Amino acid sequence: MATELTRRKFLMALAATGLSLRLPSLMAASTGETITRTIPSSGETLPAIGMGTWRTFNVGGDQYLIDQRTDVLKTFFDLGGTLVDSSPMYGSAAEVMGEALDTLNARDKLFSATKIWTGDGDATREQDRASRRKWGIERFDLQQVHNLVAWQAHLETLQQMKANGEVRYVGITTSHGRRHGDFERIMEAEPLDFVQLTYNVLDREAEERLLPLARERGIAVIVNRPFQGGSLFQRFQSEPLPSWAGEAGCGNWAEFFLKFILSHPAVTCAIPATTKVEHMKENMGAMVGPLPDEQQRSQMADYVAGL
Amino acid sequence: MDSNWLSYSLSDFLMFGPEVFLRLFVRINQDIWPWQGIAVIMVVAIGALLVRGDILARRGILLLMAAAWLWSGAGFLMEYYGPVNLPATWFGWAFVLQGALLTVVALVWRWDTVAEQSAMARWSSGIGWVVIMGLSPLLTVAQSGNWHSVALFAVTPHVTALGAVPCMLVLPRRIRWLFLLLPLVWGLFSVATLWTLGTRVLVVIPAATLALAVLALLFSPRRAQNRG
Ligand SMILES: NC(=O)c1ccc[n+]([C@@H]2O[C@H](COP(=O)([O-])OP(=O)(O)OC[C@H]3O[C@@H](n4cnc5c(N)ncnc54)[C@H](OP(=O)(O)O)[C@@H]3O)[C@@H](O)[C@H]2O)c1
Repeated sequence: MATELTRRKFLMALAATGLSLRLPSLMAASTGETITRTIPSSGETLPAIGMGTWRTFNVGGDQYLIDQRTDVLKTFFDLGGTLVDSSPMYGSAAEVMGEALDTLNARDKLFSATKIWTGDGDATREQDRASRRKWGIERFDLQQVHNLVAWQAHLETLQQMKANGEVRYVGITTSHGRRHGDFERIMEAEPLDFVQLTYNVLDREAEERLLPLARERGIAVIVNRPFQGGSLFQRFQSEPLPSWAGEAGCGNWAEFFLKFILSHPAVTCAIPATTKVEHMKENMGAMVGPLPDEQQRSQMADYVAGL
Repeated sequence: MDSNWLSYSLSDFLMFGPEVFLRLFVRINQDIWPWQGIAVIMVVAIGALLVRGDILARRGILLLMAAAWLWSGAGFLMEYYGPVNLPATWFGWAFVLQGALLTVVALVWRWDTVAEQSAMARWSSGIGWVVIMGLSPLLTVAQSGNWHSVALFAVTPHVTALGAVPCMLVLPRRIRWLFLLLPLVWGLFSVATLWTLGTRVLVVIPAATLALAVLALLFSPRRAQNRG
């Protein structure tokens, strides 16, 4: 899909959710355009905040929680989000996503990203088919090899699938800073549309080689664990934001953490996960207003390190 | 590659949050209402049979215990917990197998004689067991603050495994160990899961299961063994 996201549409969505009334600071900050990024291999535009589903969407057959997560997804779409990331590893998350998409009738708003996660190098297509059935979609926008599991075989099949039009983009993922050496070699050798890796104000190893390499090679970057799995909030939420946070475009900690990520020039999209509508609204707030500049970025990292 | 494993922690394997877990109890209680009554009757019946203590009573205890393994395994573990946590499905199968095996043992095992226990010992074990099975379901309530999350014996696996360990003492020592393995492994798994999940109050149940299973394996009281 390729949703045209205009400032007007975004403001209308804000008004529709009532967010504009409750968050005047967000409206004030939204005098600029919403932050979007271009996928280098195609030129397609993508909103810079996506949504993860690890843990948050694995609610099994619990209809009460499925409805609640559907509200989270609705808020995400209403506020201009498109990219949703999942994996066959995330338990019932794909089925729950499929049910939420049915309820919202919102597949046209979706940029679907999932992963191949099996040690069986011959099972790429089979797993893609199973995931498509669960999500209720005809093809994925993005298929990624999860944590480099059996990556040679999966990547080969995924490239064939892309050539046949069975998937639009192909990528690889890692997290927690694992296997960056292998990751780098694959980025150098393979024609990838996307990579997904961990990057946040505390975990900055990717800045050294992977992020510059992604820019050089024209690979889009999805950032996972933007809140370090939630621990950034546990550690810092009770602390005050620095007095200069407003100048860097940050009205709360969620914006602080996310805008630090988005202000790296190699980053295409960050994919925070949440179970709560209120948190989704906060996270989507990072898609509007100014981004920190280079000097503010190092101030942000120093501030957090000093807490 | 190997050093990568050192970077994993238990929380990397936890696929769901505490809200989802605690709601499993609420959901099963809603779905089986009003059949919780059967679980309550089972608790009272096992308590009464422990007080009686003869061979027929032992067969009854084992049959009721077998039903509890089957119900909590096929119900809670496979239908509710399994979809959010894959190992729970495997434990579901193990619970069902344990229930099936125990049924066979209850029906075919030949106790020639059983050691006499004093009335005092029988009454205290029966009443003690009922009290523990009455109180431990309340820990999920304490954790969640919701009465509907009460975790009944025979319906939910944690309390069932806890209740099973003392009941296994009615088995002859020769085969008792076989039926203590599952409570042991389940206890280990659940302590790790509930601790990582942050539902620390609930850790008490599998920790007690684990401790009792180890004690029962190491020190089998002679009075409960088969002398035949
Ligand atoms: N190898 C891989 O491919 C890989 C590995 C890891 C992750 N991922 C992907 O990346 C996504 C994001 O990573 P993650 O889920 O591990 O961690 P994350 O997004 O860094 O953190 C999620 C946690 O942050 C909390 N949170 C979110 N917004 C918040 C807010 N505004 N205020 C306070 N707390 C907030 C959430 O709790 P609440 O529910 O209370 O909001 C949740 O516990 C995953 O969902 C997954 O799709 C991929």
